[in-house]
Amino acid sequence: MSTVLAGYGLVKKYGSTTALAGVDVEVRERDSLAIMGPSGSGKSTLLHTLAGIIRPDGGQVLLRGERSEMGVPPAEGWGRIDRLGENRLSALRRKRFGFVFQFGQLLPELPAEENVALPLMLEGVPRGKAVERARRWFAPLGLEGLEGRRPGQLSGGQAQRVAIARALAVEPDVVFADEPTGALDQNTSAEVIRLLTSVTRASGAALVMVTHDADVAAHCDRVLHVRDGRISNYSQYTVA
Amino acid sequence: MRSPVLPLTWHLTRSAGRRGLQSHLLAAGAAAVGSFLLLVMVAVSLGAGTRADHTTWRTPDAVPAKDATAVQVTTTTYVRQEPVTVVNLAQRPDREQTPAPPGLSGFPKPGQVYVSPALAELLHKLPAGQLADRFPKTKTYGTLGAAALASPDELVAVVGRAPGDAAVAKTAGEQNYYDDGLTKRAPVSGFADTKASVFTGADQGTVLLGVVLLVMPVVVLASAAGRLGAARREQRLAALRLAGATPRQILAMTAAESAGVGAAGALAGALAYTALLPALAALPYGVGGWYTGQLWVGLPWLAAVVAAVTALITVSAVTMLRKVATSPLGVAQQADPRRTRAIRLLLFVAVLLYIWATTGQGGQLKTQQLLALLGLFYGAFWLFGPWVVDRLGRIVGRRAKRPATLLAARRLSDDPRGAWRTVSGLVLAGFVAGFFSVSSLGSEGPSHEGQVAVITANAADARHTAAEARTALHRAGVTATVSVTSEDDFDSLLSGVDGVIADVPGGQERIDTAVTALTPLGSGRYPFTQAYVSAPDDTITARVATVSTATLVLSFLVAAASAGLTAAANVLDRRRVYGLLRLAGTPLEVLDRARVRETVIPLAVLAGGTTAMGAFGAMQLNKAAGTTINTSGAVELVICLAVGALAMLAAITASRPLLRKVTAGPAQTAD
Repeated sequence: MSTVLAGYGLVKKYGSTTALAGVDVEVRERDSLAIMGPSGSGKSTLLHTLAGIIRPDGGQVLLRGERSEMGVPPAEGWGRIDRLGENRLSALRRKRFGFVFQFGQLLPELPAEENVALPLMLEGVPRGKAVERARRWFAPLGLEGLEGRRPGQLSGGQAQRVAIARALAVEPDVVFADEPTGALDQNTSAEVIRLLTSVTRASGAALVMVTHDADVAAHCDRVLHVRDGRISNYSQYTVA
Repeated sequence: MRSPVLPLTWHLTRSAGRRGLQSHLLAAGAAAVGSFLLLVMVAVSLGAGTRADHTTWRTPDAVPAKDATAVQVTTTTYVRQEPVTVVNLAQRPDREQTPAPPGLSGFPKPGQVYVSPALAELLHKLPAGQLADRFPKTKTYGTLGAAALASPDELVAVVGRAPGDAAVAKTAGEQNYYDDGLTKRAPVSGFADTKASVFTGADQGTVLLGVVLLVMPVVVLASAAGRLGAARREQRLAALRLAGATPRQILAMTAAESAGVGAAGALAGALAYTALLPALAALPYGVGGWYTGQLWVGLPWLAAVVAAVTALITVSAVTMLRKVATSPLGVAQQADPRRTRAIRLLLFVAVLLYIWATTGQGGQLKTQQLLALLGLFYGAFWLFGPWVVDRLGRIVGRRAKRPATLLAARRLSDDPRGAWRTVSGLVLAGFVAGFFSVSSLGSEGPSHEGQVAVITANAADARHTAAEARTALHRAGVTATVSVTSEDDFDSLLSGVDGVIADVPGGQERIDTAVTALTPLGSGRYPFTQAYVSAPDDTITARVATVSTATLVLSFLVAAASAGLTAAANVLDRRRVYGLLRLAGTPLEVLDRARVRETVIPLAVLAGGTTAMGAFGAMQLNKAAGTTINTSGAVELVICLAVGALAMLAAITASRPLLRKVTAGPAQTAD
C-alpha cells in the first residue's frame, strides 16, 4: 500500500504550550490509523493538522495527487497542503477528505439522505443523482428505511452511521474521525466503529481516527500514542 | 428548604461565558428598543390628547346673554400658509370681571395684544405690512404662557378689544360653511374646556391608528428578544431535566433568567426614553414640537411598559421551553419539526369571506367597522403566516436544486413559526405601507390659490369695498386684480357669498401683504385665503401623512432590527453545526446564502400578499369616507418596500462576521 497523506516534522504551538513538537506520520491507502493519548496530548491537533483544518507552525503536510500552491511540488505527484489558501483548503477538505465528529454534525432539519447528499450537491452533483448516490450507503451501514428520518428521529448510533455515510459519499481519499464514538454506549460504539473501519476500507479510503478508547483503537491497523506533542509509542494490530 | 432555583439560575447565567453574555446583551438590547418605542408611542398618544386639551379654552363656552361678562371671538388668519389663531376678547361694561384666560394673569384690556413666543418671533421677523398690521398697534406684545398653547411652535394671539370693536361684533362671528372650527363668536363668562381646535382635534386619533399598526412589530421584536439564546438554553435546561430537575424548576429558571435580562433591557429603554425626552419633544407633529411635559407618560405608565416588555420576553422564553418540561430528550435532539395545521388556512379564508360579504353589499360601511376589519386582516395574517411559510418550505424544498436553497427551504418547513417571526415585522410593515400609500384622503374641491377674499354685508357694500381694496392694495405695493362676487358666482373662494376677491400674483409674501392690507375692510373678519377654506381637510391629510411616514419608517426599522437579532441569534444557536459543516469544507457562502434565502423566500411571497391586502383595506376605507385614492402613493409604496427589504437584508448580512467568527476553526486547545 502506498502512502496517500504524510506529515513531517509537524510543530504547533498555542502561546507557550506546544501541542505538536515535531511529529512524523504517514497514512497509507486503505490504512486505518488510530491516534491515542491523554487529554491535552496533542492528538486532536495532529488530526486537524493532517486534515488541513489547522496550519502547522513548522513541518509540512503532503497529499498525493494534489497540486502544490508553492509551485514546484516536493515530489512527483505530491502537493504540500499546509500552505494552501483557505478557499483551496476548504475545497480540498470537501472533495478529498471525509469527516466524522463526535456529535452535532448533521443538519437537524434535513432528512438523513439529504444530509448524506449535501457534500455531493456542494460539488455540483445534481440533486437527484446526489440523493441516489447517497442512498447507496444506507444498506452497507445498516440504515435501510431510515433515509427520510431527520437526525432528531435517529438514535445516537444511527446518527453516527449517517455521519459516516456522509463522510464516505464523496469517495474521499482519507476519512478523519474525531472521537466518533465518544457520545455512544459501549455496544453501539463497537458496532459503529466496526462499520466505520470496514466500510471505509471497502471504499478504498484511509481512516485517521482520534480516540481515547483502546477497544475502539483496536479496530484499526495501527495505533499512534501521542504524549506532550510527540509520538511516544507505535503499535500495529493485525485486523481480521 | 430554600428553593435552589434562583441561586442556580444566577450561577448558570454568570457562567454562560462570552457567547452567553452576547445573547443576553442582544436580548436586553431588543428589550430596550421595544420598551423605548412603546413608551414613545404611549407618550405621543397621551401627549396629543394633552395638546388638544390645551386648545379647548379657545372655542367660546357660550352662556346666556344675561350671564355673559365678555364676548369672545376666536378666528384664524394665515401667514406663510401657517394658521394663526386669534382670540378677540372684550369685557362687557357693567358686568363682573371675567377671569383670565389660560396663559395670562388677567383679562386683556382693550388694545393689549398677547402673543405666543413663536408668533412673537414671527412678528419680529416679518415686515409689519405682512403680519403685525393685522393686530391693533401696540408698543409691546405681552407673552402667552404655555397653559394657553398646544405647542411651543403654535401661533396664537389674544387681543383685548373694546365692546364696540368690529372684531367682536356679531358680523365677525357669522358662519359660512368654511368657518366651521375656525371662527366662532359667543358671549362668555369664563374659559371652560370646550371643543379642541381643528388643528389638534384629530391628532390623537391619527396617532392611535399608527400605534395600532406599530404595536405588533414591536411585540415581535420583544418576542424575538425572548427567544434569543433559546437553543443554548434548551440544551442546558434539557440536560438539567435529564439530571432530575422538575419541569416547574426548569420553567422557573428560564422565567427568572429571561425576566432578569428583559427587565434590565426594558429599564434601559425607559431610561433612554427619559433622557431623550427633550430631543423627542423637538420632533414636530401637527402644530409643531412639544412641551417636554406633554411627552412625559408618568411613572405608572413607565412601570407598566417596563413590566409588559419584561412579561412579554419572559412568556416568550418560557413558551419556547414548553416541550422541555414534557419531553427533554425530544427537545435536546430537536426531534419534532414544528408543524402548522390547515386550520390556520381555514380561519384565514373564513375572515376573507366575512370581509368580502361585509363589504360587498353595496352600502358603505362606517369607518369604525372598516378599521375593525383591518384589524381582522392583521390578525388573520398573523395566523396565516406560519402556515404559508411551512408550505413554501415544502414546495421549495421539493424543487430546490442548489444546496443553499435546499437548506433554506428545509429550515422554513422545520420551524415555520420561527421563520415567520423573522419576516413578520416587514410583512406586516408591508401591510402598513400598502394601507397608507393609498389612504391619504384627497379633497376634490376647487382650488383658488392666489385669491384673497373679503366678505361684505351685501352686493352694494362689495362694490364700495372693492374700491377701497384697490386703494389699500396699491398703497401696500401689491399688484392685484380686484373683483366683486355675488350670490350667483360660485367660481371663486367666496363661492356664492357677497364680497370682494383679490387675485394676487407673485407668491406667498404678496398674499400675506394683501391679507394684511385688506384686514381693515373685513368688518372685523380677517380676509381669508385658500388655506383657510381647506384647513379641516388639509389638517387631516397632513396628520395622516405624518403618521403614515413615521409608522412606515419605524415599522421598517423595527422589522430590520427583529430580523437582524433573529439572524444573529440563529448563528449563535447553531454555531456547532455551522462550525462542523465549515470544517468539513462547506463554503461559508453557502451557509450565508441559505440564511439570506431563509428570509427572502417568505418575504417575497408574504410581503407582496400583505401589501396588496393593506392597499385593498385602504381602498375600502377611502370608499367609506367618500374620498379619492392617493394613486401617487404607489411610488411611495414601492420605495418603502424596496428600502425596507434592503434594510432587512442588511440587518441579516450584519451577522455574517459573527457567522465567520463562530465557524472559524476548532477550539484552540492543546489536545
